Amino acid sequence: MWKIWLLFDPRRTLVALATFLFSLAVLIHFILLSTDRFNWIEGPRAKAAASIEMPLIKAV
Amino acid sequence: MAADNRSGTVSGMTAQEAKEFHGLFMTSFIIFTVIALIAHFLVWQWRPWFPGPTGYASLIDGANYALSYLPSLKA
Repeated sequence: MWKIWLLFDPRRTLVALATFLFSLAVLIHFILLSTDRFNWIEGPRAKAAASIEMPLIKAV
Repeated sequence: MAADNRSGTVSGMTAQEAKEFHGLFMTSFIIFTVIALIAHFLVWQWRPWFPGPTGYASLIDGANYALSYLPSLKA
């Protein structure tokens, strides 16, 4: 497995990997913030919150 | 050039350098993966991202069931 570094330049590989992982992380975090269920800063939007409350009240 | 075995490889690394870098790379990779796994576990505990067959409500039942034991823990 170590022979991969004879083929690929480690410096370019690290820069490419870091760029890719960071872009992917930023993309996923923004997608999650745009949803109602997974927005950890503001929570669900007011309209969506009402529809989520209903089954919760029934269950309790 | 041929004496240090650099000219034979595409990346210009010797076998020794490649092995050394590979050790560092794999250690970092494993640490990164473990942290990512812990983060995913915590997020799944917070809010699972795959709804059950009857939607997310079926998962809330399980949470309520677990929460019903909270008062007994306080006593």
